[in-house]
Amino acid sequence: MISHKIFEIYEEGRSIFTKSILPGKTHFDERIVTEKREEYREIDPSRSKLGAMILKGCTNIGIRKNDVVLYLGSSHGYTPSFVSDIIGKDGLLFGVDPAPRVMRDFVFLCEERRNMVPLLADAHHPEEYLPRICLADIVYQDIAQKNQAEIFINNCRLFLKKGGYGLFAVKARSIDIRRKPKDIFIEIRNALEKEFTVIDYRILEPFQKDHCMIIVKK
Amino acid sequence: MIYLFTTIIGSFILDHKLQLIHFQQFKDITEFQEKEKGEAQLRKKYQQLQPLPPEKYPLALAMLKNKQYFSLFHQQNMALTKQAISSSVNEDNLIIQTISNIRELDSVTNLLSKRLREWHSLYYPELSHQIASNDAFVKLILSKSKTELMKELHQKQSIGAALDKRHCDQILHLAQQIANLYALRENHEQYLEKVMTKYCPNLLALAGVTIGAKLIELAKSLKRLALLPASTIQLLGAEKALFRHLRTKAKSPKHGIIVNHPLVQKASRKERGKAARRLADKLSLCARLDYFKGAFKAEEYQHELEKALA
Repeated sequence: MISHKIFEIYEEGRSIFTKSILPGKTHFDERIVTEKREEYREIDPSRSKLGAMILKGCTNIGIRKNDVVLYLGSSHGYTPSFVSDIIGKDGLLFGVDPAPRVMRDFVFLCEERRNMVPLLADAHHPEEYLPRICLADIVYQDIAQKNQAEIFINNCRLFLKKGGYGLFAVKARSIDIRRKPKDIFIEIRNALEKEFTVIDYRILEPFQKDHCMIIVKK
Repeated sequence: MIYLFTTIIGSFILDHKLQLIHFQQFKDITEFQEKEKGEAQLRKKYQQLQPLPPEKYPLALAMLKNKQYFSLFHQQNMALTKQAISSSVNEDNLIIQTISNIRELDSVTNLLSKRLREWHSLYYPELSHQIASNDAFVKLILSKSKTELMKELHQKQSIGAALDKRHCDQILHLAQQIANLYALRENHEQYLEKVMTKYCPNLLALAGVTIGAKLIELAKSLKRLALLPASTIQLLGAEKALFRHLRTKAKSPKHGIIVNHPLVQKASRKERGKAARRLADKLSLCARLDYFKGAFKAEEYQHELEKALA
């Protein structure tokens, strides 16, 4: 197990890991490697866009220890659980999702991981959860909506601190099924560039089909 | 100038430079939900208290980004989310679960019935050959013995083996279980009808139990069904064909789940698209009437449709 270029990420061969803040526990049947009394949980790049991004060669995801993360589209909490490992016990992650079904699973996860906070809310309406969260160092978004770029920009405006990073997983098939994914990615990238500086842009093939991730800095 | 900024963890009183003057912490989530009470009290104490203007939100939010508040955020949001989850369960969820289980039961009974026929045919193949309906087949072998059945069906002899009672019992045991599943399915349908007469009478009357429930399932909730355009309701359940049409040059689908509706089934093959469009139109109106608690107009629509499609 050696440290990856990215903070708090470890690698062994071709797999990437995070150091578990909750040893002896797996939430999603992920592989666990124990070394020197530390437990490492493997990130599956075909389930996590963040994992795919790292394996595609991204050198800076911006997330550091003790950060506050706003995670839009937390779903069952697969990727959030790894982000929670990265930020450590003193960080905080706000997971936002509008669906009660997945939030149920996420709440159980949050009960075990005290640095994660569940919010049953719609990312379309940031003003609704404005009184429930604080300023974030990182905004991560992975939602399948037609106007996902607009949602991302609105949330970053409100909740991202100056100099903070925004990680945006673009799902081309939700935006327009008829157009080529690459055209959509470029269009979104240009839209984001008006507001932020784009740091990294990678297409997540072959781990995630028709997805890309854009990392911006405010 | 002093500002009041109420968040989930408590009310903050800030001066014009957004320095903290006073922090009134909420003890539990009900205090946040009834925040007006607490705010009124603070207003009495601090004169000229003003709500925080939106352009100062970032600064206030930055102030909240402090480790001392983290566990409070966790605690309060957890409580509020748990409340929201438990209050999010409504008739939609119950209808969706029931109709899903009906579908599950259908596939299970089919599978088991096929096995039962195969098994029972070792004993008495002529029966399985004659009775097409699974339901009737199960009922027959449970209620009558082989000799009785042969007499009824005017058969002199059977090519099946003469099995002992202990072999037959296993077969009948399986048949009993299948019969129970059929009973459960019927029970589900009655229950669904009861729930839907209360929750969406118009939709139930025009679409029927199964199609009505399936429409709610596909739209995820009655609210969404009511908000969908009629053209989308027409194609609910035909998403695969629709997107194939949009992506490639394939033909556009004419109907989704509503193809099973008697009014569409009755129409000639050429007229089905038209029938589906008209029906979807009325179904959409029904869903809206139900969601916004309107009058009962389904029968009127039914007559209208029957007249138009005759």
